[in-house]
Amino acid sequence: MPHRKTGTSVKPVSTSTRRRKGLRVGAFAAIGLFGAGCAQNAPQDTWDPAGENAQKIHDLQWPVFAIAGVVGVIVLAVIAFAVFKFRDRGQPIPEQTHGKPKLEIALTILPALILIGVAVPTVGTLMALNETNDTECVVNVTGQQWWWEFDYPVQDGCGGIDSPIITSGQMVIPADTNVLIRGTSRDVIHSFWIPRLNGKRDMVPGRIHTLRMQANEPGIYAGQCAEFCGLSHANMRMEVAALNDADFEAWKANQLADYESPTDELALRGEQTFITNCSRCHQVNGLTDAEGELVVSRPDLQVYSGAAPNLTNLMTRNTFAGATWDLIDPQRRAEVWEATPEEFGDLYLEGVTSSTLNSVDLREWLRNSPQKKPMYAEPGRLEQTDGLVRGMPYLALSEDQIDELIAYLLERK
Amino acid sequence: MFTTGSKTLIGATTFAVIAAIAYGIAQDGVRGTVGLVSAAVALGTLAALNATLRDSNVFVDDPTPVETTAAAQRRAGASAWPLGFAFGAVTIVVGLVTYQPVFVIGVAIVLAAGAEWAVQAWAERASDDPKWNAAVRGRLTHALEFPLAGAISAGVIVFAFSRVMLWLASKTNTTVAFSALATIVLIVGFTFASRRGAKAGAIGGVLAIGGIAILAVGTAAGLDGEREIPVFETTSLWMQEANEHPEEYAEGAEKGKHPEGFICESPEKFPEADKKASQTVSLKANVVTIVLTPEGGLAFDVPGATEENPAGITIPRSNPTNFIFKNEFNDDRRLSVDFGIDDDGFREMECTPLVEETGSQVLTLTVSRPSFAAQGVDNGTTDDAGDYWFFVPGVDTAKLRLLVP
Repeated sequence: MPHRKTGTSVKPVSTSTRRRKGLRVGAFAAIGLFGAGCAQNAPQDTWDPAGENAQKIHDLQWPVFAIAGVVGVIVLAVIAFAVFKFRDRGQPIPEQTHGKPKLEIALTILPALILIGVAVPTVGTLMALNETNDTECVVNVTGQQWWWEFDYPVQDGCGGIDSPIITSGQMVIPADTNVLIRGTSRDVIHSFWIPRLNGKRDMVPGRIHTLRMQANEPGIYAGQCAEFCGLSHANMRMEVAALNDADFEAWKANQLADYESPTDELALRGEQTFITNCSRCHQVNGLTDAEGELVVSRPDLQVYSGAAPNLTNLMTRNTFAGATWDLIDPQRRAEVWEATPEEFGDLYLEGVTSSTLNSVDLREWLRNSPQKKPMYAEPGRLEQTDGLVRGMPYLALSEDQIDELIAYLLERK
Repeated sequence: MFTTGSKTLIGATTFAVIAAIAYGIAQDGVRGTVGLVSAAVALGTLAALNATLRDSNVFVDDPTPVETTAAAQRRAGASAWPLGFAFGAVTIVVGLVTYQPVFVIGVAIVLAAGAEWAVQAWAERASDDPKWNAAVRGRLTHALEFPLAGAISAGVIVFAFSRVMLWLASKTNTTVAFSALATIVLIVGFTFASRRGAKAGAIGGVLAIGGIAILAVGTAAGLDGEREIPVFETTSLWMQEANEHPEEYAEGAEKGKHPEGFICESPEKFPEADKKASQTVSLKANVVTIVLTPEGGLAFDVPGATEENPAGITIPRSNPTNFIFKNEFNDDRRLSVDFGIDDDGFREMECTPLVEETGSQVLTLTVSRPSFAAQGVDNGTTDDAGDYWFFVPGVDTAKLRLLVP
């Protein structure tokens, strides 16, 4: 194909075609612009900080976004102007020039100055976020495919904890308190992220990474794993429930209360079903068998990563299966999520009741967990993990057994 | 009829087909066989294309390509390098679906054969005199070929002999074998050196026989496997021995082979485990530091500022946690942790080797049972009979609770 020499011309494109193309482009751009602002329910909105550290990040990202936005608009506008003004209308190809040192130097120095201006507060914010000396409460966070475990070590902080507390899926913290999270992982790298409270922190196996977190007022805050960790990475979620001091003390006391065997007949049968089918992996603290011996789970013998969620006080939480599904029905969920800070504590501490239980998802989960959430738990997938499961396997429970288990689990609070 | 390039590809295709059949029969693996068959199909297609396009040296519609192409003006000499190149290519493909070392060997063969082939083809065009061409080639490549060939041959011989050494029944036998071989080499070398008229062919023949013999014996020994090599006795092994063979263990103590009692409860030095333990360690990951203070207490520090209760350390269940034990006491001591009685009725403890004053040791713990389920833990107090406990044998005041939720 011959090159077009300077001075030759080609037939111009018709005006109506250009206009139609322009209208199409404009329509798409408008749809995109308006569509981007339509999110109504965005619990993981980083633009809506609810804690001190998230506020620091927010205070940084707004001006940087503004600067980047202005620069972006200018650049796009200049490009659009050049594309439109100098579009091919059959005119000769302009003379090709090379090298404008002054312009090039200016266009190097100016962005460098802008970036230096952005870097200074960025570094300052990073260093501020790394500070953990002012924390008053410690929570150990352990990521595992595909759920989060939270344990509260024996400490003077958090109002004093004399015996470890363990839970999963939902981390409960005292509001308006700097919490130190010591995070690690049992298998692959995960990343802990509650957008409204803080930035991300990788949870790396064999390492302990610290993170400071604080919620300004009581409420519930959503998060999810932010480092691809396998099949159900998208289903590895968590929530943070912040309670005022009194409610937090009440929560702690409840978590450490002694185990009480159920009195209801169905729940009693459920206790036996739990011991037979679930206790190999799931621990319920204080549960004893018929001989009065403590039932101690050994998930290290069943699960590739070595642990399974502790279900001691399952119904004090609102979620299950890696916080992927709610234990409470949609109406109750709306009440909890939309509660004011003053109302939240009482609603949360009420836990899950038989009238607010989301039995649909819980039943499906108990019926066939691998079908509900992608996991490496089917027999055909266990070759690479020496027969150990990643996730909850299919237990072949009957509907009666599921009824019994639900009755039993409802009393776990 | 076939051009040089298409001959290479036809050879590679043939090898790929043979490898696919052999792998499919030997390994019964679908994925590997599919991979090799795919490679054979791809190589065959390329071979057909190349044969049709006459190595892309001539136009497809040229009526006399063989006579007029530059490649046809001078016939290439006989060479094994294309064969080696094709073999290397197939080895690469086989390595992709089997073991990585095979892949690496394939790459090495391809590079070496490719380079040799290119140099030979270049040398054959240098002049019309084959002898001069060979000399030119030699001048370029001999400086690299001979040392490399020597190094590879020596490496193969040494590796083969090492398999023999590892296969022999005991260390004493290996000493005898090594001495015998060295003696044979000395005698043969002396014999040849002392004979003025020794022919190069004879020397080469003897060396070749010797090399092949070592290679054959080494291969057989490698396939048969190594002898059982005794394991270095760690503190965990001592605990296991005491639990699983209590009579023999007690007998050993009576005979003075080692101190009495469990190693993790003893402040005395045990053979092997406590001998020459490194007193400085470094860990990159955040660790829990436990210090035996000069006053005989146990203090600890965990990552991140904490308000933790000094009464205990809490670690996650079923997750390895690293502890560095620093001894600031005025005597050699070890850090032990008592897990009580396990499901088999054995006393379960772990400990570091003996640590000198100002020394450090690492202890990595993975605890699968929650501490509230601990049974039979002897923490020397009447309080909190459950839970796990760190302690230092010989220092009664050094106790620290370990909690696992």
